[in-house]
Amino acid sequence: MKIETLKEEKILNKEAIKQTVDFKSGNEMAALAAAQINYHIMGYYPITPSTEVAENLDEMSANGEHEMVLIPGDGEHGAAGVCYGATTAGGRVFNATSAQGLLYAMEQLPVQSGTRYPMVLDVVCRTVSGPLNIRGDHSDIMMALNIGWVIILAKDPQAVYDMNIIALKIAEHDEIRLPVIVAYDGFFTSHQKRRIRYFSDKKVVQDFIGEFKIQNCSVDVDNPITIGPYMNDPDLINNKKQQSMAMEASYKIIPQIYKEYAELSGRRYSMVESYMTDDAEAVLFILNSAADTARIVVDKLRIKGKKVGLVYPTVIRPFPAKEIAAALKNAKAVLVADRQDSYGGWGGNMTIEVKAALKDDPQNRSIVISRIYGLGGKDFYEEDAEAMFELALDAAKKGKVDVPYDYMGTTPGDPNFKFEKVRGPITNKESSLGIIKVTRDEKTGKLDVKGVKHAELTAMPHRITPGHGACPGCGIFPSIGTFLKGIEGHVVMLWHTGCGMVVTTGYPYSSFNITYIHNLFQNGAATLSGVVEMYKERQRRGEIPKEQDITFVMVTGDGGLDIGLGPALGTAFRNHNMIILEYDNEGYMNTGHQLSFTTPLGHATSTSNVGTVGVGKKFHHKDSAQLFAACHIPYVFTAVESQYRDLIRKAAKAQWYAKNEGLVFGKLFSSCPLNWRHPDNIAQSVVQAAVECNFFPLYEVEHGITTINYDPEEKGKKVNVTEWLKLMGKTKHLLKPEFKGVVAEFEEEVERRWKRLKAMHENPLL
Amino acid sequence: MTTKETKLPIVNGAGFYEIRMESIGGLGANLAGKILAEAGVLNMGFNGSNFSSYGSEKKGSPVKAFIRFCSSDMEVRENSPVTEPHLLALFHENLSKTIPVTQGVGPDGIVVINTSKSPDEARDFLKLHAGTVYCINALKIAIAEKTRINTAILGTICRASGFLDPDAIKDMITKNLGKKYASLIAPNLKTFDRGYNEGVSKKFKPDNKYPYIPFTRDGQKIGYFNQPMGGVIPSGGNSIFKDISASREGWIPVLDISKCTNCGECDITCPDYSFVWEDGIDPKKGKPARILKRIVYEHCKGCLRCVEICKFEALTSHKEFETDKTILEKGFTDGSKK
Ligand SMILES: Cc1ncc(C[n+]2csc(CCOP(=O)(O)OP(=O)(O)O)c2C)c(N)n1
Ligand code: SF4
Ligand code: SF4
Ligand code: SF4
Ligand SMILES: [Mg+2]
Repeated sequence: MKIETLKEEKILNKEAIKQTVDFKSGNEMAALAAAQINYHIMGYYPITPSTEVAENLDEMSANGEHEMVLIPGDGEHGAAGVCYGATTAGGRVFNATSAQGLLYAMEQLPVQSGTRYPMVLDVVCRTVSGPLNIRGDHSDIMMALNIGWVIILAKDPQAVYDMNIIALKIAEHDEIRLPVIVAYDGFFTSHQKRRIRYFSDKKVVQDFIGEFKIQNCSVDVDNPITIGPYMNDPDLINNKKQQSMAMEASYKIIPQIYKEYAELSGRRYSMVESYMTDDAEAVLFILNSAADTARIVVDKLRIKGKKVGLVYPTVIRPFPAKEIAAALKNAKAVLVADRQDSYGGWGGNMTIEVKAALKDDPQNRSIVISRIYGLGGKDFYEEDAEAMFELALDAAKKGKVDVPYDYMGTTPGDPNFKFEKVRGPITNKESSLGIIKVTRDEKTGKLDVKGVKHAELTAMPHRITPGHGACPGCGIFPSIGTFLKGIEGHVVMLWHTGCGMVVTTGYPYSSFNITYIHNLFQNGAATLSGVVEMYKERQRRGEIPKEQDITFVMVTGDGGLDIGLGPALGTAFRNHNMIILEYDNEGYMNTGHQLSFTTPLGHATSTSNVGTVGVGKKFHHKDSAQLFAACHIPYVFTAVESQYRDLIRKAAKAQWYAKNEGLVFGKLFSSCPLNWRHPDNIAQSVVQAAVECNFFPLYEVEHGITTINYDPEEKGKKVNVTEWLKLMGKTKHLLKPEFKGVVAEFEEEVERRWKRLKAMHENPLL
Repeated sequence: MTTKETKLPIVNGAGFYEIRMESIGGLGANLAGKILAEAGVLNMGFNGSNFSSYGSEKKGSPVKAFIRFCSSDMEVRENSPVTEPHLLALFHENLSKTIPVTQGVGPDGIVVINTSKSPDEARDFLKLHAGTVYCINALKIAIAEKTRINTAILGTICRASGFLDPDAIKDMITKNLGKKYASLIAPNLKTFDRGYNEGVSKKFKPDNKYPYIPFTRDGQKIGYFNQPMGGVIPSGGNSIFKDISASREGWIPVLDISKCTNCGECDITCPDYSFVWEDGIDPKKGKPARILKRIVYEHCKGCLRCVEICKFEALTSHKEFETDKTILEKGFTDGSKK
């Protein structure tokens, strides 16, 4: 790190303002700005590529580097709710999200702006599903044009830092009081490290932003107020007029704040940046990181004598229409490149808005060409920018454009290509081995399972094939694969977003020999209930043979049962004929091991770091099996791959109940060697140790009656929780003396839950 | 620290010296890229950038890391991957079986490869057009020093580059390990030094033995004319065609069918469904039974879960490169070979 002093710049404070030179990514810079601001609260939910912002802040927090309180939402909707509530209570609030997260939060965002509580949300731009894609385009941020938030853009890691500081000052300005989004490109900016500068002393940042002025506080006992009344037609339009006035005010104030910031930092921004546009015949209008790439090409083409220029805004709400029209005044042709499409709108949103801006200038004669590029994070090379300029130059020369709207960078495909058939469908006969027999005892109503012969069951066709991309030793596939050995006949599966889904279906490959559906993990259970009911109704109408039978299995991670718990419980209340399987690996593994609600107390994750003050996860684990038992569905069970006979037996029962009675919920404790940090080969011993220490008891709840299937105490196998914790890197710290208290508290909770379960086992009424 | 001003030995048309690392998740290429870039930018006074290719990579899946250096007064505006690297580092040689890793490497290029092969063997293995090959047995060094291969490879990269300052990189290794892993600093610096000193190099001129492989974005077979509507994959189960053996980090299980009791436990524990079973006759009981035939090594990721679970020593772990090739082909041994 190098410290530099900016002497030439006029500075707010009298002394020289020091800046540190470092090498950091966009997400690191966002976190750094937030930490320096020292927001009161961050409500968040992990989603690639924005997750690192919360992760970095948590790590800093674990080492006492700021005072922000980080609150993991149950999903982005919940996180946005946390943020909203926190802003009403009179403090500074921050959040970061992407793609589906932005959409899932979106219902809350107009509430935030309409009731006028400022905050800052970083949108790390990523492609909106489906099909699922985690890379960067602008399909998410363009959905946010109408939510009443100011939207500013940051094209590189330096701008991410600067704009995060500027954003809060805009948000809290007396004449604005609106929430602000800072949008930057997922991966291209969020994950790229560049040389940057930041204020060495956070006080400079805090002084620049100024004191927080509390308005409309929900916890001011001397001034009780009503926040968010029911407002009908005579009034609502006036509330919106005020919002629009605030937006107008921001249009005037943003340049002032940019100027103040330039004086402080030496880094200048304008609402619309234009490069070489004065005499340019062909101009490219493009946002964020791609604009930088395009700028290199402007220089190259200028050397060749081509009159090209570049325009990119740093603000899109309020839309700087006048400035854009001015920058494009002399352009004969303008190519607006959109990294998203407003399908059927004949251009992405920027095309539409640039056209509207130019219409306001009666003098303007520019031809506007629209090109959709870079969707799903498709890389943008200099050649691509050059092709755009050539198109615009051609239109400028001809005075017309042949194809006004089109996609760039698509591939027609090889006409001879066909998906190779792997095998015919798994037939009912092939998968009905008749090895396992399930019978119901008419007297007790309980099911009896015979014939759980796992070696014979190797004859069960693989519904999931090899070739998936999970890490070596991953527990998901032994867990689900063994479960499926106990399921006969046709199976249709729905998988929630998560590791299991991502590693099995990377296009154009799929690891499913059966029909598989993915839906986003907020909503899989509801989706599969729709499938089940359509199947049944079509059978009733005679459209599908009545004697045909499909077992419907939904697979979710533990995280999918945080964000998707509501629809899963709804599915339980409606008692559809299907199975919900949760593989619980105690965290959001697909996004890089953030805490989930099932992460146990004290465990280290990337959002529950251990450090000088951080002690790992701060609250106890969620007990999803008990949640579903409380829904009074016919069958609930827990199982582990290491007790595979028990697991297969439960699968057979699950199938019977799903067919004959209704919803089954099963929870499988599943190892993640990568993030639990244990050697790949000992996965089974690790999950078994969790059973032996009573952390993960094996039991089933049949018609409300609880049976413990394996009692480590009775078997003389009971071990202390530390015997389990010592096997994993994520819990190694808990063995140190300073964590004794945490372990004691954890053990007490494990014991309390176990004793309660035993009481239920002993008493059918509990 | 700031070391002596250094100049880049060569730059491309855009003014950059570019490095591409090809690896699999878990071998530490991302971290190596970060350390290298930090050393160049913060310690040696270049400007630069560093990023990785992101999909939803898990451990064992291919990843790439990119580093760009330019003169201090130049702005970095590039956001696209490195397509014609001055220096290519291959963390895992088997990647070249499934990925065109040498794309864009020309006669002036440098290739650092983690291998036990000699430069001549490595060149043939990679079918490299031309360039200078540096071979380093990083795995051996890492095992000996109880460190990771990425630090050894960094040492070789430093040497091969001809301009990177070893002290600048060592300083960054130390800073990245920090207080948290202070005990690892000394062995890592030693690993770096060994990587620096033990790399064996040879320059290959273009001799028409292998063609130059240019970078290309063409060749995508499924496009908007033939992609099934809605992104549906009409033939599920096709991942079975994939060869994922590059996920292995050096170890494999070997099945000795002479010891196997067909108990079935390995089949339960294998995450990659790599065991092949058939109907047959149990040799002991003489009755029809399911018989374990072999391991499909294209699908085995070398987790060794199966070795851990087998109670009969029918599955044992071995170093892949020491294992008899016929075992890898057949998927089992009858006990006569190891
Ligand atoms: C609305 C929304 N928010 C966040 C994400 C990002 N996301 C994808 S998978 C995942 C974690 C899934 O965790 P879990 O269900 O436990 O499965 P695992 O990855 O552990 O297998 C997250 C947070 C998303 N895809 N959509
Ligand atoms: S991160 Fe964990 S859960 Fe995800 S594939 Fe790897 S081992 Fe499995
Ligand atoms: S676990 Fe061992 S003995 Fe049992 S089937 Fe597998 S290889 Fe054979
Ligand atoms: S090491 Fe064994 S358990 Fe692991 S993937 Fe290979 S065959 Fe399967
Ligand atoms: Mg999980």
